Amino acid sequence: MDLLDIRNLTIEMDGPHGRVRVLDKVSLQLKEGEVHSLVGESGSGKSLLAKAVIGVLNPLWDVTADRLWWNGKDLLAMTPKQRRAITGRDMAMIFQDPLAYLDPNATVAEQITEAIPAGDVTGTFLHRRVDRKTRVANLLHRVGIRDHDAIMQSYPYELSEGIAQKVSIAIAIAHRPKLLIADEPTTAMEPSTKEQIQRLLGKLAVSQNMSVLLITQDVASILPATQRVSLLYCGQMMEHGDTEKVLERPAHPYTDAMIKMSLQAHAELAPKSRLPSLPGAVPTLRHMPIGCRLGPRCPYAQKQCVKAPLVRHREAQSYYCHFPLNEPES
Amino acid sequence: MSHLLEAVDLFKTFRPRRAWPWSKKSVALEPTSFTLEAGETLAIMGETGSGKSTLSKIIAGVEAPSGGELYLNGQKLNYAQSKRRCQNIRMVFQDSDKSLNQQLTVGQQLEEPLLFNRDMPSSERNQLINSTLRKVGLLAEHAAFYPHMLSTGQKQRVAIARAIILDPQIVVADEALVALDPSVRAQIINLMLDLQKDMGISYIIVTHSPQIVKHIADKILILYRGKMIAFNETERLLTEKQQPYVETLLHEHLTNHSQITGNSSAKVTE
Repeated sequence: MDLLDIRNLTIEMDGPHGRVRVLDKVSLQLKEGEVHSLVGESGSGKSLLAKAVIGVLNPLWDVTADRLWWNGKDLLAMTPKQRRAITGRDMAMIFQDPLAYLDPNATVAEQITEAIPAGDVTGTFLHRRVDRKTRVANLLHRVGIRDHDAIMQSYPYELSEGIAQKVSIAIAIAHRPKLLIADEPTTAMEPSTKEQIQRLLGKLAVSQNMSVLLITQDVASILPATQRVSLLYCGQMMEHGDTEKVLERPAHPYTDAMIKMSLQAHAELAPKSRLPSLPGAVPTLRHMPIGCRLGPRCPYAQKQCVKAPLVRHREAQSYYCHFPLNEPES
Repeated sequence: MSHLLEAVDLFKTFRPRRAWPWSKKSVALEPTSFTLEAGETLAIMGETGSGKSTLSKIIAGVEAPSGGELYLNGQKLNYAQSKRRCQNIRMVFQDSDKSLNQQLTVGQQLEEPLLFNRDMPSSERNQLINSTLRKVGLLAEHAAFYPHMLSTGQKQRVAIARAIILDPQIVVADEALVALDPSVRAQIINLMLDLQKDMGISYIIVTHSPQIVKHIADKILILYRGKMIAFNETERLLTEKQQPYVETLLHEHLTNHSQITGNSSAKVTE
């Protein structure tokens, strides 16, 4: 059974110019211990999807789904209290800018201690104190910080970006969640720090048997350990499937464009030559095209594209396109 | 033949906030020398705290150097000569949201450098603003827009328009490409390359992404803890054997994602 099973999740909000569909029938399945990357540019609704799972969306927005199941239980049918209990126990989230997210008034040790579940610490009054400290040190070791004493006593402003992100990961895994949602954890970081954090997330997924939903804006910065990848554009799912298959033979023009635009693919291009890029810009919420929302920017778009395509499958990948690329010869 | 821009032993030191007059100053940038020719792109690379932003700020005139000389077209450029500097060296910043004034329309923002530096009637100013907007791929109508009405890519285009409106010789871009979406980033890189071809602008870009550097830079300058450890043409830095630190900095990201590179090359042969 899937850990997280989302079918046709739709989020609508009322704006001054009428109803806007920010997420349009998005489906996503996540197995236990799986690393899943969710790729999309800004405004694609990838953070909204994460928020819908955690349950922190604006209550004025309409969230409808055929299925929003966590371990076989329907999250949408629960009372807020039940849902909070599940979210608090099984899920955790980390964000893009750790220095903005950590408490500037508390030391690292205080912040991690706070995240350790009360039931974990046992023993007498004095023993509990020692136990808490060793647990904090262990957590720091687990995220790859060796010099735990110095880090425990520092305040967030004293830490470098990479260490701060590691601390926020330590806080997130303190209660052994089943799902870690990482919302652009490495955007705007230096390449070496980025690589460290990515390796750490991949390792934690294996060692803690924890699923990771990694949200990123670039196919080039997905985790090397990613098993499955999904691409979102303007609130519509474009393609999802096994990472290798999707990157090797993308069926959707958007996937193809994202791969060509990713910086890694430029290696073969002559220096100073023009880079491949999609024409135009991401449409604003008020001016969403009907049908396939990639339509106006898609080089392969035809008349049919004003009708939203239904899902199609090919081996281990699914895509939403009338005119897929790289079709196997039959 | 003089160089377009020549730096001779530029350095920058800071005095710690509470210190005796005779105590040692902390060094942000050790003496650095380099040259830049017209129509070339120089990339400054390094980790955080390596002094790359300090160097770009000294070149753009945001900060005064503690010593050393800067020559523009063979003539010495003092820190106080802000008029000459800002007509020839312009800067583009990382976050266009913060660097554009939210309370002025795009047209007003572009007019400001003209008001301060050019003596021209308003009709000519408007004409120049229109043509500059078209040059960066926007429309003349965008002059009436406020920044919040534009998308990120368009805002970055406005920032570039503001930099090139005085027809400068050098544009300094401090991390102007990292925070953009992939499709927007590719568009902006294309725009910068086109402008370089048409107007012969030299770029000084500060970045830590080896891929961007490889694509657009002619020369690379690498800083490590305030010290320049390499300055050479991109080709030679990439092909010849280098110090271990330079190698890791330049090749870092490539090995990590050989998966994607390998696949896209496979696709080309299909």
